[in-house]
Amino acid sequence: MKEIKLVFTGSMGAGKTTAISALSEIPVINTDVKASDEVQLRKATTTVALDYGEMTLPDGQKLRLYGTPGQERFSYMWKILMQGALGLIILVDNASPEPLADLDIYLTHFREYIEVSGAVIGVTRMDMAAEPALDAYYAFLQEKQLQLPIFPVDVRRREHVVMMVQALVAMLEFS
Amino acid sequence: MLSHLEKVQLQQRLQTLIADCDEIQAALVVTVDGHLCAMQQRENYPLERLATMGSSLMSLGDTITAELRLGSCKNIIAENEEGIVAFMHVNSALVLVTLTVQKNAMGLLIAHSRRCATELSKTLGT
Repeated sequence: MKEIKLVFTGSMGAGKTTAISALSEIPVINTDVKASDEVQLRKATTTVALDYGEMTLPDGQKLRLYGTPGQERFSYMWKILMQGALGLIILVDNASPEPLADLDIYLTHFREYIEVSGAVIGVTRMDMAAEPALDAYYAFLQEKQLQLPIFPVDVRRREHVVMMVQALVAMLEFS
Repeated sequence: MLSHLEKVQLQQRLQTLIADCDEIQAALVVTVDGHLCAMQQRENYPLERLATMGSSLMSLGDTITAELRLGSCKNIIAENEEGIVAFMHVNSALVLVTLTVQKNAMGLLIAHSRRCATELSKTLGT
């Protein structure tokens, strides 16, 4: 396995673009545009097509990192970007009004993929909102009959994102 | 955010576009982040989805153009077996999407659409 395609998805503002920027060895290709809706209350721009970056693992494997737009109206891009993907990272913004409902959107949409391949969940901005705690996430996954690793992460910190990616790659290698 | 007056102006200019060019079946103006602002069409096309897709495509066009340092992206053309779709910026915030089912009407489609986009840009500002 020389090249691995990983996809970062998750709710708007959860940090997908930031996570890919933290990892990428090349300037990240992004398609951010000025937000014209309620998104602008949170951030000035939003991704409307994809983010793309690359990272090489210590053993020489190249990771191709794709980020999806967060909003459901761009779900056609989710389908396009998942073609050929070996792993999925779902980022959830814990400071959003309903983080578990946000997670549910992505678990539902990517369920089929998650069941045959691998996924990890990164919970961001836990410093801004401590609840729901990770226990609530695990309980929620159990309810959905899924077992996935969950990481509290600060996507601005490269080592946090690397940890998630390494966990996902390990899952893929042993699956 | 567009004012009511600006939305009316968009709607009127799209009406003129469709009236002036029989080959154009549908025209819409969308925000760069994928929200439909105004539309006119001769048939019932799924334009809500096209609005969002238009923003993705235009952004990809801008990204590719910047990557290759080719100036600014003027148009994106999807030439298909059963018709042509053109995407172009009105200004930094809006994108015009036009559709023809005439396979030989690319010149007309682009010319009329470009004139419409330029006039809208003058009306709304950059």
